[in-house]
Amino acid sequence: MSENISDNMLNNVVIDIEHISKIYEMGNQQVFALRDVSLKIFENEYVALMGPSGSGKSTLMNILGCLDTPTDGKYYFKDNNVSEMTDNDLAEIRNKEIGFVFQTFNLLPRANALKNVELPLVYSGMSPTKREELAEQTLINVGLGDRMDHRPNELSGGQRQRVAIARALVTNPAIILADEPTGNLDTKTGEEIMALFGNLWKNGNTIILVTHEEDIAQHAKRIIRLRDGLIESDEINPNFKI
Amino acid sequence: MKFLFEIIENIKMAFDSTIASPLRSFLASLGVMVGISIVILMGWLLDGLDNSFQKTFEIIGADMIYIDKWDWTGGKSWKFYRNRKNITLDQAIKLKDMHKSAELVIPNFNQWGRNVTYNKETIEGISVVGAPYENQFTPAGDLILGRYYSEYEDNQGSLVVVIGYNIYKALFPNGDAIGKNIKMGGRNYEIIGVVRKRGTFIFDFIDNQVFIPLNTFIKNYGKRVRSVNIGIKAGSEAKLDLVRDESIGLMRSIRNVNPNDENDFSINETKVFEQSIASIRKIIWIAGIGLTMLSFVVGIIGIMNIMFVSVTERTKEIGIRKSMGAKKRSIWSQFLFESSALTFGGALISIAVCSGIIYIAKIVVVKFFPDMADVAEFFPPYLSPKLVIIASVVSIILGVFAGIIPAIRASNLDPVNALRSD
Repeated sequence: MSENISDNMLNNVVIDIEHISKIYEMGNQQVFALRDVSLKIFENEYVALMGPSGSGKSTLMNILGCLDTPTDGKYYFKDNNVSEMTDNDLAEIRNKEIGFVFQTFNLLPRANALKNVELPLVYSGMSPTKREELAEQTLINVGLGDRMDHRPNELSGGQRQRVAIARALVTNPAIILADEPTGNLDTKTGEEIMALFGNLWKNGNTIILVTHEEDIAQHAKRIIRLRDGLIESDEINPNFKI
Repeated sequence: MKFLFEIIENIKMAFDSTIASPLRSFLASLGVMVGISIVILMGWLLDGLDNSFQKTFEIIGADMIYIDKWDWTGGKSWKFYRNRKNITLDQAIKLKDMHKSAELVIPNFNQWGRNVTYNKETIEGISVVGAPYENQFTPAGDLILGRYYSEYEDNQGSLVVVIGYNIYKALFPNGDAIGKNIKMGGRNYEIIGVVRKRGTFIFDFIDNQVFIPLNTFIKNYGKRVRSVNIGIKAGSEAKLDLVRDESIGLMRSIRNVNPNDENDFSINETKVFEQSIASIRKIIWIAGIGLTMLSFVVGIIGIMNIMFVSVTERTKEIGIRKSMGAKKRSIWSQFLFESSALTFGGALISIAVCSGIIYIAKIVVVKFFPDMADVAEFFPPYLSPKLVIIASVVSIILGVFAGIIPAIRASNLDPVNALRSD
């Protein structure tokens, strides 16, 4: 697989997982969500994680996103050993290095767009004025400069997802982890959001897209397919076009 | 500094979410409000009592000691004090002549339970005090009308009288007391002065006194069968110990008390009241604390319950916050601030309501119970800053207590599961 990703070898490794597995205890039964998965992701890659439900892609995403830790194996994030980190250290990595975009947007309903985008900056301890400045700029960048004081229920699905993307971008993270970002959107809006991700990638961001939809995955440059907790294939997308 | 910005944000959020559902917040903190209100009203009541006690001390004179056969505390049986030898006028005068440190030594006689008649109207239960003219330099010499009797009138045994405020009010509602004659023990006395109102509900009898010159008293009531009460003015509270020691020493030698025997007289001073005040305070506290604790327990359970509900309702939000990098401390502090905002908000409402209650209570009491007006005077029409601070601090402590378990539960939620919840 290494030859497939050779064009990224010049870049730094952001994610390096070695032989990780995740086992859930269901009663007295052990369920293997991931079995011995190894994977490297480089800076400014655009990767799609594909697989049917139960394939382990959600588990892998949670581990990559430092929301969960593997049962076995090593996970290095920018050379830091994540698999041995405390909850607080993981929170710090999530805050500084990872931007999440969720299928259901996961915005705070009582906060307006601006406050939602400010949220990660609150936890990085930025001053209120700097926070607001940065959040405003990011919202303008995703095309929502005129919707800053709207609450999520006053925004369309596409606009909500843009707010969520702005929230993911505002800390300038090392990777953007998008979990079915178009799953709750109509096709047209979904395409707009995917175009936005394309632009982000062009601007140098590293994007990991988790999806079960083939046509969404086709937007990525590299497609990793999972099945039954194993990597089935990991290859450059031949249909990729900028 | 970094955490400070986060704390400011948490406080803002806490108030936002408290205000977001006002009825629910109000009901949740009702128990705490009741408890805080009891604390506030109790504190206010104690403040008022303290004021009136303070006033009482001033009446008796904080720098006065009184040597008497009787003891104000009544520590031993009535018989014990009765069996003491009377303090004679000669002994009192000897003490007066020998005393060096005291500013004034004033022997006086008391005759309890007498009647005073003016114009066919009689007041019962008056105490007649026979005191030398120097009595005008004690707190009893503070007059609102007329003058005190002079040294000459004292020596002559003139039939003049200075009356207490209650007698003045009862017999001369129009205020024209000076120059009138009242009848006591079959003799007519000319009123030459009226003492300022000094008593409160605890010391009311003090305004039922009349003062006549010592020699007038001796002439009309006799001196043999009675024990003299000696008022000694130290001049300042600082000199009290010195004056007390000298007084005891002199009295023991004047009355030939055996060195191994106890004093056969009592030293009375305002200090003895401090103990009974302390016990009154204690009773109020115990009654209040019982009620307070009960409502605080109810209140804490109410807040804790609503906080558990809040954590459950907002599991998803906690997941979102955690995925955005919220640490455990961020989550638990958020919920602690929220529970404290509930209780603190409750305290603010309690403070407002109690301020209204006491303001109205004072107006009502003065209007409908004029007799109580002088009592009401000792109770401030507003809450002292001290009470407001205590109420606020207590409310926040309660909030932390009530919120701590839900907050820890929230901070320990697994981010993956929390995000998955609806």
